[in-house]
Amino acid sequence: MFDGFLAPRYLAWLLEGFGVTLTLSALTSVVALGLGFILCMARLSPVRLVAAGAGLWLSAFRNTPLLVQLFFWYFGVSALLPENWTGWLNASHGDFAFGLGWPSFEFLAGFVGLTLYSAAFMAEEYRAGINGVPGGQILAGRALGLGSGVIWRRIILPQAARNALPPLAGQVMNVVKNSSLTMAIGLAELSYASRQVETETFRAFEAFGAATLLYILAVAAIEAASQVLIARDPLRRAARP
Amino acid sequence: MNFAVISDNLLYFMVGSWPNGPIGGAALTVLLSLASALASAVLGLALGIALSQSKGWPGMALRTVLGFLRAVPVLMLIFWIYFLLPVVFGLDVPGVGAVTVALALIGGAYLAHAVSAGIDSLPRGQSEAARALGLGRWDALRLVILPQALPRMAPSFVNQWVALIKDTSLAYVIGVSELSFVATQVSNRVMVYPAEIYLFVAAVYYILCMIVEVGIGRAAARYRIRPA
Repeated sequence: MFDGFLAPRYLAWLLEGFGVTLTLSALTSVVALGLGFILCMARLSPVRLVAAGAGLWLSAFRNTPLLVQLFFWYFGVSALLPENWTGWLNASHGDFAFGLGWPSFEFLAGFVGLTLYSAAFMAEEYRAGINGVPGGQILAGRALGLGSGVIWRRIILPQAARNALPPLAGQVMNVVKNSSLTMAIGLAELSYASRQVETETFRAFEAFGAATLLYILAVAAIEAASQVLIARDPLRRAARP
Repeated sequence: MNFAVISDNLLYFMVGSWPNGPIGGAALTVLLSLASALASAVLGLALGIALSQSKGWPGMALRTVLGFLRAVPVLMLIFWIYFLLPVVFGLDVPGVGAVTVALALIGGAYLAHAVSAGIDSLPRGQSEAARALGLGRWDALRLVILPQALPRMAPSFVNQWVALIKDTSLAYVIGVSELSFVATQVSNRVMVYPAEIYLFVAAVYYILCMIVEVGIGRAAARYRIRPA
């Protein structure tokens, strides 16, 4: 029919979908890595109320399905927002940034849902990284007469970063994999595209095979990048005067 | 916020159209979770033991398969099983079965690494002493290694099972009438209060996850073998 593989038109669908997957994953990862750190700091706050609130927040986002959270942001929030807001969000606003168009409401809802979900998991990885720094390190810092700000910046965080890097890389891989759920709210990312190609061509093997390969490619690239980062040990650089 | 939509449809959220039709809703979510949790535990244990015992190319092959399962989105795996098996083998897989198999495979792949790491975390002297006492490889594993390694793996099992409960919601994409699917059905039917509906559904999942996290965590702590 198509000389063995998918026609160029369908390959283009898949590649476009992969582009959406990569864009969403990259934006989500960057924002979630930052938000996760803030949440971790709130969780470790000496102010009881802040720490408890952050704990509740993390528990809620970690223990409910991403799919339900996406439905909440996509269907629920558009019903809660005043009508003219939703209209504004759905309308086109010309050039947004970097010459890209204003993102669709599907993309916005997917981005918010995926970011909040991922940030909660990343916060726990940061926390585990910080908890993994031996207590003696802090005491030694104090014994040297360092202030708590310096202890955090020069002693705890560099070592915590070393501990947290591999699990955080794992979380970034999870972002790529979890971005597939945004197909349920109609975002035309890779899984959505593969399903569409399958429906049109009845070539399940090629459609899902190509999408699976692209996912593995993305995950492998993140793994490789994290190996490079780990090889350039952040601790060694931080220790330099 | 108006939660009347929840109380009006509570029974439907909980059991779907049962007893007049197939069971659905939260009850089906629980059944899917139980089935895939059990299957993933058996698979994870078997593959984990195989992983820790195999060297050379069989170990490499196993590692590759597990790596594949961990790199692929759950959704993709569900597609593979649900849409591809009928085409390739001509067997029609029901949605519930496809989801259970997909979740069991993914959960098993993650648990296999936890199990193998748990076994490897024991001092070598333990298995050497067991072998020196004349126990066979299998008996050494069953009587000496696993009883010590299993409690160490309990947190991994709890994490994985919580992830499984959440992942049962993916059955939605192939039309299995579990809790998430039922929720969108109600939401589409009444056309109002989607925020309330999804908050309620999230709360049900939260409770299910907490039961596993707190319940099993407590049970594991009670049976933990303390180092002498």
